[in-house]
Amino acid sequence: MTTTAAAPEAALGVLPRADGSANYSHAGYTVTGSVNGPIEAQRRDEHAYEAHVDVVIRPAAGVGGTRERHLESILQSSLTQLILVKNFPRCLVQIVLQVEDSPENDYVNTKLVQASLNFAIMPALMQTAVLALLSAGVPMRATATATAIAVMRQEEGAPTLVVDPSTRAIETAQSAHVLAFTSHGGLLLAESEGDFTVKEWDSVYDTAREICCRSAPTKEGMEMVLDEEATRGPDMRQFLQSTMEAKVAKDLHWK
Amino acid sequence: MAPDGPLVLPGETIDPSLVPSHPKNPLRLGPGLRHIPPTDIVPTVAGQLITNPVKNSMWIEYNSNRYIPSPNDLILAQILRSTTDAYLCLITPYSAPATLPHLAFEGATKKTRPQLAPGQLVYARITPASANRHMDPELECVSATTGKADGLGPIGVVGTTSGSGSGSTGPGCVFDISLGFARRLLMARSREDGGVGVLEMLGGEEGGGLAFETAVGRNGRVWVGSESARTVVLVGRALQETDRAGLGMEGQRRLVKKLVREMK
Repeated sequence: MTTTAAAPEAALGVLPRADGSANYSHAGYTVTGSVNGPIEAQRRDEHAYEAHVDVVIRPAAGVGGTRERHLESILQSSLTQLILVKNFPRCLVQIVLQVEDSPENDYVNTKLVQASLNFAIMPALMQTAVLALLSAGVPMRATATATAIAVMRQEEGAPTLVVDPSTRAIETAQSAHVLAFTSHGGLLLAESEGDFTVKEWDSVYDTAREICCRSAPTKEGMEMVLDEEATRGPDMRQFLQSTMEAKVAKDLHWK
Repeated sequence: MAPDGPLVLPGETIDPSLVPSHPKNPLRLGPGLRHIPPTDIVPTVAGQLITNPVKNSMWIEYNSNRYIPSPNDLILAQILRSTTDAYLCLITPYSAPATLPHLAFEGATKKTRPQLAPGQLVYARITPASANRHMDPELECVSATTGKADGLGPIGVVGTTSGSGSGSTGPGCVFDISLGFARRLLMARSREDGGVGVLEMLGGEEGGGLAFETAVGRNGRVWVGSESARTVVLVGRALQETDRAGLGMEGQRRLVKKLVREMK
């Protein structure tokens, strides 16, 4: 298992007029998200018993197309599971995610329309949305963490897993996967692309779970098995926790 | 003062030893917590868990910008328009309008009811009956038990009709603040418990004894009124700056001195 990216960075409350906002950068992607809600829904979006979650994704350049609509629909169904939508009937929770920066691909002309799903950006979008929702104080069932993993098949031997792969790595990979977990450890989102076996998917699942749901204290014996500390990858849950700690401490400085 | 609890994130489990237990009083859950029958109490927002063993209550202390109506909150609403028997009021931008019945004012009858124009500010209470999330919130400017206004009513009008409300005079302006800051301003001992002394300082010797009045709404709005428009702007700026920069007592004192010096 190898990882290519530096530790994630986040800032909360970057947009003064939105109810909640977050700026998140990880693995070459920078995304700014804003959350407004619960607000009055338009008549056609109104649901008698629950809030409507509206996700809008804007690409770094140009206007959004079919790919963005597809990403929106995936995120929308995941985030609806997290937000307590039944608490706010006939309301709307609006989440806007603006991609600010994405890593350049030296090998492929990015202007070309690619039919495939953009896997590398999905964890960044998911993470930004969760942070912005927390910043807005929208009531939620749980928090979530996400990661992307690519499976590179070697000539011989076991396939290697690349956490937070680059665009190039995804293109050369045998298969690419995005997984998100709730803070309860439940699988929230699983998108896969390419050729892979069930065994490979199982190892991807275990790796992603280790990154997203690692509990704070690590056991001595476990570390011996997983050898070096550096190969364990980023700890997303710890990152979320420390980001929110800083925000709450700032808000409640007067206590 | 309630003992300080740990930081919680949505969906985290709360240590059962932190939940207050009282032999007689039922446990009361405040904002940011939900009860999943039979025994689970789960936070829904990120914040600090506060427990009060005396009142047998617990809640999450956090700051946000979007007001969610809850019964008995005092809020600053703006009249949008009038229907046959009620005014429609704006509590927060882009949320469903609240209703304020024409008869929910002190001494109002079908013949003598206050005539409020669109844009008029009203200091009102959210009625205890409108706790249902399926209904739009309902407001009142009169206490249902005593029939008195108790300071509620239209704000910033000269000579209010039918004698209702406080009938404040002079120019005034509304300033937006965060919900946490509004709650701190509304505390009975806001200087000691909430750490806000900026209003006392402005009216005291640091501010050169400025004369102004304020009305703080739980919905993150504060109305500042004074004979002098300069004072209104100064007080509003002082409040917004204290909120935005998260100033402590010493910072507030310095801010007041700076603003007063600039005004002269």
